[in-house]
This record gives sequence, C-alpha cells and structure tokens, in this order.
Amino acid sequence: MVLLKRAALLALLLALVFGTVELLPGDAATATSERGESAADLAARRALLGLDRPLLERFRDWMTGLPTGDLGTSARGEKVTDLLSTAFPNTLLLGGIALLLTALVSLTLGCWAALRPGGRLDRAVSATATAVLALPEFVVAVALVLVLSLWTGWLPAVTLADADGTPASWDMLVLPALALTLPQAGWNIRIVRAALADEARAPHVETAVLDGLPPHRVLTHHVLPGALPAIAAGLATSTGMLLGGAVVVETIFNYPGIGSVLASAVSDRDSPVIAGVTALSGAVITGVLLLADLVRDLVTGVRR
Amino acid sequence: MDLTRRQLLWTGGAIGAGVMLTACGGSDEEPTGSATGDSAKPRKGGTLRVGALGRAGAITRDPHGSQANESDYLIISLLYDTLTVPGTEPNTEPRLAASWKPSEDQKTWRFTLAEGAKFHDGTPVTAEDVVFSLKRLRATPSGASRLPGIQEKNITAEGTDTVVIVSDYANAELPLLIRLTTFVIPKGTTDKDIAKAPGTGPFKLDWFRGGNARLVRNDDWYGGEVHLDAIEVKIFESPQAMASALLAGQIDLASNVGAVAARTAESRKDIQAVRRPNDMAMPIVMRTADGPFADPEVREALRLAVDREAMVKQVLSGYGTVANDVLGTGDPAYDKSLPQRTRDLTKAKALLKEAKFDTSKTYELYTTEDISGLAESATLFATQVREAGVKIKVVKQESATFWDKTWLKGDLYTTYWGTNDSVVFFASKTMVSDSGQNEAGWKDEAFDTAYEKAIGSADASGRTQLLKDLQKIEYDRSGYLLWGMADGIDLAGAKVRGLPTLPGYGRVQLEGAWLAG
Repeated sequence: MVLLKRAALLALLLALVFGTVELLPGDAATATSERGESAADLAARRALLGLDRPLLERFRDWMTGLPTGDLGTSARGEKVTDLLSTAFPNTLLLGGIALLLTALVSLTLGCWAALRPGGRLDRAVSATATAVLALPEFVVAVALVLVLSLWTGWLPAVTLADADGTPASWDMLVLPALALTLPQAGWNIRIVRAALADEARAPHVETAVLDGLPPHRVLTHHVLPGALPAIAAGLATSTGMLLGGAVVVETIFNYPGIGSVLASAVSDRDSPVIAGVTALSGAVITGVLLLADLVRDLVTGVRR
Repeated sequence: MDLTRRQLLWTGGAIGAGVMLTACGGSDEEPTGSATGDSAKPRKGGTLRVGALGRAGAITRDPHGSQANESDYLIISLLYDTLTVPGTEPNTEPRLAASWKPSEDQKTWRFTLAEGAKFHDGTPVTAEDVVFSLKRLRATPSGASRLPGIQEKNITAEGTDTVVIVSDYANAELPLLIRLTTFVIPKGTTDKDIAKAPGTGPFKLDWFRGGNARLVRNDDWYGGEVHLDAIEVKIFESPQAMASALLAGQIDLASNVGAVAARTAESRKDIQAVRRPNDMAMPIVMRTADGPFADPEVREALRLAVDREAMVKQVLSGYGTVANDVLGTGDPAYDKSLPQRTRDLTKAKALLKEAKFDTSKTYELYTTEDISGLAESATLFATQVREAGVKIKVVKQESATFWDKTWLKGDLYTTYWGTNDSVVFFASKTMVSDSGQNEAGWKDEAFDTAYEKAIGSADASGRTQLLKDLQKIEYDRSGYLLWGMADGIDLAGAKVRGLPTLPGYGRVQLEGAWLAG
C-alpha cells in the first residue's frame, strides 16, 4: 500500500514537472535554436521534437516509456538515459558519501552531547549545530575552496572528470562532500539530540538508570533503539535536501553530476530531461523513505 | 601560506567568488615570458589543460550542428579544419583551402585544397569530402545563414583538389564568410557515426566523455608544426569554478573567463591575463522601422547622450575600448577616420526637441543577463540618458523570453555579438534590408546599394572605399548605438606561450600554443 501511494505521488510529481516546464516562456525548440533560424525551420524542429502535440499526449508517451527504462530524447537529440548514465551515479556517489558522513557526525556528536545533558559540551554542540544549519551550501562551499584549496593547497579546488566520466581522483570528492554534509549535519545533530532527550524520559530508561547501569550502556541499549525511527526519518529527509543541495554544490565544484545537466535542461525547457532527473531522484528519495519506514516498523514491531 | 586573523575575518564577512579570488595570495614565481608575445623558440612537448565553458546538457559532437558550448566548439576546431580561418591582416587566412580565386563577376569561387592534407586515419582529403561537408552544413536549420547566398546544388567538386562554390550574387567576401563553421569530415559520414568521424586538424581525438576530452598531436598535419603533445579540454559550467581551477593549478588556461576573474586574479604574479580586443559587441538596438526611435534625429540624440568612457570603465571594468556606432571594429577595413562621437548633452537635447520627441513618457529598455555586463550596460545607459531628458526604465527578461519576444521586434533593447569581427559580417547578417536578423528593422536603400557594390567589387582598394561609404551610412543613421567593445579575456598559467589574441572564435586557434620548460 505504502509503495503504491508513493508511486502515485511520484507520478503526480512528474506530471507537475511536465506542466511547470510548459508554463515557462518559450519551448525547447526556441530555447535551443540558433540565432538566424527562420520560423519555418523552427516549426520543423518543433514537429521533430513532438512539441506540436498536446501536453497530455507527450506526458503519456513519456510515462509509458518509463517501465522499459526509456526516458525519452532530449531537445538536442541525445538519449536522456545517456545524458544521465554517468552523471546520476556520480551524484549518487557524492550524495551517498555526504549522507554517510552526516549520519556518522550527527550520531557521534548527538550521542556525545546526550551523555552530558545540559553540560557545557551539550550546549556548545547545540549552538554550533544551529549555526551550521543556517549556512547555505554555497557559502560553505566557497569558504571550503578558499581555505582548504586556494590558501593551503591541501585539496583540489574543483572536480575534473576522467576518461570514464568519474572524478579523476578521490580527493576531489572531499570538498563537495563536506559542503553538502555540514549544513545537513547541523540539522541532524539537533534531531538526534532531541530524539535521545525524548527517549531518555521513557519509563524503561528511567528504570535502567535507577538500576545503576553505566550511562553509555543506557544510551546504546535503552535510549538509542527507541530514538532510531526519529533519527532514520531525519536522515531520510536529508536525502532530498542533499540531492537538492547537490545542484548548487556541483556547480561550484564543477562536479560532473546531474546538477549541471538539470540546470541546462531547465534553461533549454527540456521536459524529458527534467522529468528524467526528477524520476530518478524521486525513486531514490522514495527508496530511502521506505527504508526509514522499515526501521520504524522493526523498532515498534508493527506488521503490515 | 600563513592565514592571518584579518583574512579569516574577512572571509567570514564577505563570501563570494570575487572575494575568493582576490584573497588568494600570489606565489613567488615570476613569469619570464608572456602568453602571447614571447619570441623564444617554442619548446616541444607537454600537455596543455584547457578549461572551456559549456553546459553538460547542451553537449554536441556534430561539427555542423549548433554548438552552444565553447568546450564543444574548441574540441571540434582542434579536430576538424575549416576552409579558411580568422587572421590579423588580412583577416582571412588559408587553412584546408590553401588558396582561392573568384571569377570576374565575383560569383564563382574556386578553392584549392592544401597539399598533403589527410584525415586522421591516413586517407587524403578530396574535393568530394569538402563538397559533402558543405552540403551537410547547408542542410542544417541555420545552414542558410552560415552559407549565405549559396544553394546546395551550387557546391561542386572539380578534380580531386578544387571545390567550386557559386553564389547567387556577386560576393567578394565569401572566403571570410566560410571561416567559422565549414568543418570538413569524410564523405559519406552518417549521422550515427558523426562522433567517430576523423578530422584533418592539428589534433586527433584520444577520448571524449561528457564534454571533457583529450586530444593528441597530429604529427601528419599539413598546416605546420604543432608543439604540444596533447590538449586536455575540461568543461566548466561557471567561470568562477574555472578560475578556481586555474588558481589551484588544476588547469593551465581558462578560456574566455571574463573581466571579473581577470580583475580579481590581478594580484597573482603567476597568472597571465590575455586580452583579446574587439571580442564582443554589446550594442543598444533602436528600432528604425516604427516606434519612438524611428526618427534618425532621436537615434543620434541617444548616441550623443551616452557617456562611452564611463560605460567601458564601469560595465566592462575597463577591459574594453570605446566604439563609434559602427560594428566590425576588428576588421582591417574598419573606418578609423570617422569622427569619434563623444558625449554632447546640449546637442542631444536640441535634436530631441527638433524631432518633437515626447520626453514626458518613460520608455522601456529590454535586456537579459545572458552575458556578464549586458544588464549593467542597460542600467548605466538609462541613468546617463536621463541627463538628456529621456526617461528609460530597464526591463530584465529571462533569456528565452528575450530571444522569443524582444529580439528583432523590440523598440529598444540590448544585444550582443561575439562571433565575428568584420564590417561585412554585420552588414550582411543584421543591416541589409532582407537580412534574417535585422535587429533594428532597418531598411535603407543607400546602404543596400553600398553593400551590394562592396561585396560585388573585385578590386580590393576600390572595395575599401566602398566599405567606407557603407560604414558612413551606418554611422549616420543605423539602428545601432555601439558604445564600446569588450575584450575577450583568458587567464593562463605562467608557462603557457603562443596563445591566440584574435577576437571571437579566434580564441580556439590553440595549435600554436606551447609550454615553457
């Protein structure tokens, strides 16, 4: 049921994307035309791209291709799957590293702070988390390039792609991953800390404390399991924000991901490409949300 | 290097690409030669890493397609050859066509191919290959404007090394008009195989992926010695990222990176800024066919109301030169004897009064943010002409809307041209009555006659005079207010030598570049 609901939601989202692109001024034929094309040339290309057909029909055609893995053709005649075949895995790699880092950092710091509730460290972590959370990705990104690359020369400033389309060396992933992680870590530390605080008030935890168990054992065996669903949900939400932030971060670091494909597709009014990116990102986010649901079900013992 | 407390605070306070660039300190390395003017003997070897702008979604491998990306155009230009290329003086130089000769009436042109020209797979280039390529180019959506006045059936081969092109009308400038996109591929190449088609250019393709490519030297190139072992082209979506890559030493050349990056990199002694004058025209277009600017006196008043020096200084950060309302400033035939228009508010006001121009109304000036400085030029212009009593409101349009709704139609708008530097190019594309891109809706019989005479004239010195007549008319009453020309700006590492200084697409001619040891 949940799966069906989520799939329906994704379809609705795709329809919205198609409709929104239609509302933008100009269309793919005019946006990709060269200066000096005549009206007849333009009309011919519009027909070639199928833009003269009704929106619903185009959307239906695009949707029916989806199950077979066919994402259609871009306004410049490239297969959308080709355009995304290296870009999307690159973005997933970057987003995956950032998500992992976010999970590690927020769990570590969140737990660390929770072990000393109300202490100086707890307050310091909370305050820093709030401050970092308020920083947009591009500010973090520019500061990182400045300090860790241009001043110190420790890391490459931008990502250059290799012959196989992936980043030429692993150290090129560090700065973009950090730029994505920092704001998300700020957000998740607060969630972890709050979830742990909530759970710490539960009767079974109080019993454990009264039993005289050491604080770290109480945390790992009694507090953390109960707080997991909230933490998983927080991280799942971050997935969406990580993919969104990737568009900005990829531009700053010249990272060969979907960010630049999406940006140029929007300026080209290229609905199949925009919808393709949306479908793939949507599928990933849906998958992660399902995982978060699964964690909750396992913890709370609900059966469906 | 040491970080001072002040630098850190400064970073916290002002974040932005500009700050990022100025804040990075210089190295001790002094450049010993210049990127363009070094007379030392070129050193053979090395790989030049070039950053070029482009968008991942707009990549094309078709040399006859529309190349929206500089990265694509650069790669294609190094792999394939055009018949002729831009030069300094004369402004058209031979490439795959070693020589050319017109008929008496300037309609039939015979181009003789360079001796020893071979495709990268070893097959010799024949006239048939060129004919195939030109016909393929002609059949593209913008083929008619790329090969003006040339019908597909009038492109033929004569023997193995001569291509005959017959123009519909006398056209002495044909060699110039085929400088940019006449890339030659082997006869019979199908659309499916286009990405694999061998070229004849100074470099061969090693690999290509997503707009990035590695090109290796073609030792068999007919055009002279190539010094570099290889050129690696890296695609960049933003000039800021490209500048960062250069400053961090990840690339050696940031092509067409712009004034902002150049200004902010000035403090770095190990970075060379290459200025290519007459690179980009950013005129203000005043509609002549109808509307409030149809009266030539009104147009002259606006030309006198603009403060050109201030425009160049503020809009282009000084990286440019003042212009005189005639397009094609890089052309050897450009008329430097026309008196330079300067600001004259008294005369401007008098002209407006005489033309009964309604100064109570507010006029709209449309612009886009397609290239840096364009929207700024509109804003500054609006402020300046207010002093002559003309009220202008700047309307910024999103790119697609602008090209769809305003371009070729608007009463007053900004436009830009970075593709060519010749007087004839602009006359043929934007000013003769029947030109497809007549931006100002200008119809002027005297101009049309002057144009036809000029391109139909076989006598070179006579043509120079005819081109002067044409420019005088343009100067007096066309729809263009050309206040200045922006420099093209590349940034290069200390070791890079032999870079092109030509405007426009001249910047892709990297075959002469080399790396100092």
